[in-house]
Amino acid sequence: MKETIGIFGMTCMHCHKRVTDAISKVKGVKSVDVSLENKSATVEFEDGVTNLNAIKQAVTDAGYEAGEKTFAEPDQEAQQSVQVCPVLIEDDKGTVQKPAAKQGSGAATTISLKISGMTCAACAANIEKILKKNKGVESVAVNFSLAKAHVEYDPSLVSVADMIAAIEGIGYTASRKVDKKESEDRERKAREDEIKKQRINLIIAVVLGIPISFGDMANAFPNLLWFVPSFLTNDKLLFVLTTIVMIFPGRQFFVGTYKGLKHGVTDMNLLIATGTGAAYAVSVAATFLDMGPGYMHTYYDTAALLIAFIVLGRYLEATTKGKTSEAIRKLMGLQAKTARIIVNGVEKEVPVEDVAVGDIVVMRPGEKLPVDGVVTEGLSAVDEAMITGESIPVEKNPGDTVIGSTINKSGSFRFRATKVGSDTALAQIIELVENAQTSKAPIQKIADVVAGHFILAVHVLSLLAFFFWFFIGFEMFGVGGSEMFAGISPFLFALLISITVLVISCPCAVGLATPAAIMVGTGKGAENGILIKGGESLEMAHKINTIVFDKTGTLTRGEPQLTDVIQTAKHSEEEVLRMAAIAEKGSEHPLGEAIVKGAAARNINVPDAESFKAIPGHGVEAGFGGKRILLGTRRLMADNGIDVTHLNASMEKMENEGKTAMLIGVDKEAIGIVAVADTLKEHSKDAVDRLHKMGIEVVMITGDNARTASAIAKQVGIDRVLAEVLPEDKASEIKKLQAEGKIVAMVGDGINDAPALTQSDVGIAMGAGTDVAMESAGIVLIKNDLLDVVASIRLSRLTMNKIKQNLFWAFGYNSIGIPLAAGILYPFYHTIIITPALAAAFMAMSSVSVTANSLLMKRSRIK
Amino acid sequence: MEEIVMKGKTGRYSLIASIVSSIVIVVVFLALALLKNSGRANPLYTDVDIMAGMIFVFILSMIVSASVWPGIIEKRLK
Repeated sequence: MKETIGIFGMTCMHCHKRVTDAISKVKGVKSVDVSLENKSATVEFEDGVTNLNAIKQAVTDAGYEAGEKTFAEPDQEAQQSVQVCPVLIEDDKGTVQKPAAKQGSGAATTISLKISGMTCAACAANIEKILKKNKGVESVAVNFSLAKAHVEYDPSLVSVADMIAAIEGIGYTASRKVDKKESEDRERKAREDEIKKQRINLIIAVVLGIPISFGDMANAFPNLLWFVPSFLTNDKLLFVLTTIVMIFPGRQFFVGTYKGLKHGVTDMNLLIATGTGAAYAVSVAATFLDMGPGYMHTYYDTAALLIAFIVLGRYLEATTKGKTSEAIRKLMGLQAKTARIIVNGVEKEVPVEDVAVGDIVVMRPGEKLPVDGVVTEGLSAVDEAMITGESIPVEKNPGDTVIGSTINKSGSFRFRATKVGSDTALAQIIELVENAQTSKAPIQKIADVVAGHFILAVHVLSLLAFFFWFFIGFEMFGVGGSEMFAGISPFLFALLISITVLVISCPCAVGLATPAAIMVGTGKGAENGILIKGGESLEMAHKINTIVFDKTGTLTRGEPQLTDVIQTAKHSEEEVLRMAAIAEKGSEHPLGEAIVKGAAARNINVPDAESFKAIPGHGVEAGFGGKRILLGTRRLMADNGIDVTHLNASMEKMENEGKTAMLIGVDKEAIGIVAVADTLKEHSKDAVDRLHKMGIEVVMITGDNARTASAIAKQVGIDRVLAEVLPEDKASEIKKLQAEGKIVAMVGDGINDAPALTQSDVGIAMGAGTDVAMESAGIVLIKNDLLDVVASIRLSRLTMNKIKQNLFWAFGYNSIGIPLAAGILYPFYHTIIITPALAAAFMAMSSVSVTANSLLMKRSRIK
Repeated sequence: MEEIVMKGKTGRYSLIASIVSSIVIVVVFLALALLKNSGRANPLYTDVDIMAGMIFVFILSMIVSASVWPGIIEKRLK
């Protein structure tokens, strides 16, 4: 029988050979002809011995996709895989290797992988280590709290399949993050499953742990615990109860250790397994064997309580961990589920995923906008608070843009969809926040190094402590003769100390200190319309001592407005403005538009001029009611023989204030002046004042002349002005400030600000700005409000304080806890201060406290 | 192929090195214990202490060695 099947994923002759070999090995295959060009394989096989499914399975096992033969292009996913050689070569131990023949193209791409099976920060370090070993992986950031890995890699050198295989090779599972909604549902389910599992484990451990503890302690202190029933003190019963604890709640630590060791990695499970295993083994031996003096006492309570406390820690961690990533869930919750679109002239309700660009969407009051678009008909007010933070609904008229996930408040309207799916503003915000939460702040490097070597260091310390107490301490400090440990053997005492050292150590607290705070910080930012693109920007923002503001569009509104009207004695202000507006009504110049808008704002009726002429560089000339109106410069007036000496003082005053002043002449008489200027945004002055109070120098950069720039700077209270700077020189001005030793943030919104945003230590793009500016910035402010610049710096300072507190706590806890556990105070108090069970309780609380401290940030105000 | 062979070698050599170094540490432990017991009318350590101690020391030493040796051997083989 001869059949042809489609093979997807082959990129080179190596793939060709691998597929040929895989199919040839199937029993019953007589011949195989693989075509790299046609992406197919023609197979001749004995029907009855094998079948097409078995052949397809062999292809799949070799790392390729097999399907029906088709001459059409495979789907996009398959197309993608064609770019990437998915070949996995396994050695005899199942280790995944890369074929040596691949060459890098140098084009890096990024991917987020969902990781399962991590139990502590050491696991995250293990995954980072194994991924970095893959040739072509440029950077990796594994977030333990989010259970995600963000990898930057060269697809020509390493494939996603390779990376997944490498992760799975060390005992974890990994998958591509697919649809966000689906991924979120899966994450929530996994978290709920973990909470449920740990809750059951906790109940078993506590229910059995309490009688075990009472029973075991009653053996040691019968007078103190007289009320404990005698059957509970039976070692064999304690053995049975503890064995149940070890098998059910305790199994996870041993299974985790086994998986880790099998793949050559160590994690938190190993510390716990060694500690509880040693206590249990010694107790079992004491129960069933006669080991002589010093071995009468059992330590079942130690093993059971250790497990109970650590399971309690894992339960609390599972419940609090979900709260740190609440921001993403809140953002996802904003998305609409359905949309009403016009299909063949009829309104039809469809799932939001089915809305395509160009569809006309119908909106009624109270409904949530499904996608981004442009209003085509109707009027309404839309509540955009969830995206921009603006509490007042924004009026929408035909031609205005609308954002998906905002709420239509009052009227009905229709809009044309312009951005759908992952292109919508909300989807991009979610993506940005998610990436930021997975990214690492430079401060985390220290914590990563420590967490990566922590387990090894703790085992070394535990071994040293054992040697010390076995050979030196036990005899030197008379432990065997002490009241508390009378009759204890040197081995058991040294073992107790050794176990306590293992159990008290908490790499989780060290590993969680930074990511937990960054997650809460970036999430809080997103809730307030401040999008921080990564940990690096977040960390750098708290260090800045100089902020450079672009003038036009950032500090000012970016469009001129009518500011002053000066009239001569014989004329009224209204008459002067009316004449100026009549002259400018036909003009398309921004200054003219500002005058006409100014007149309209004062409810002045402005009729059309009978004639209109623009005089380039000088002004305009118009005819109205038989009169000749001139509006423009001194030169225009002089050329027409109009005396303006009586208006010179006012003209100069306004020019010194940075305004553009224009004289108005009617026939041969100068009747007044109108002045136009780019005005400050509502909160510009307030923002600059607050930045000053924070000890930050504020600089303004502009292409305007020094006089105009100084006038604006004076109004807003800015210390230093960089005027007459050409757009291409803005970046070099930032460089000069950096050369002065300053840490500079640049706030801008235009395309011409992009180089300066990139050059600065922290680029802050205003939300109403261009995509290029937002791409170049480390922080994006969704709302066009300068007070958010202040809020973002406050947020950065708050987050960094939390990180420092967390790291101080985590390092401090381990630095104090480990020596205490090693019995450093025994010589002074003749007792061990921390028992293994107490150590387990401390350890469990340590990582929970780091997460809880980070969550406290949610209560802080940044505005 | 070369990489696969190297990986196999690293694993094998690491296991041997870990076992050897753990045995050395256990022997040191045993020697010290016997040394402390020698010349005493009442030995400080019972046989159970020494045996249990050796097992525990071996386990901890293996954990430490198995974490340290693969890195060293991989560097040497490169």
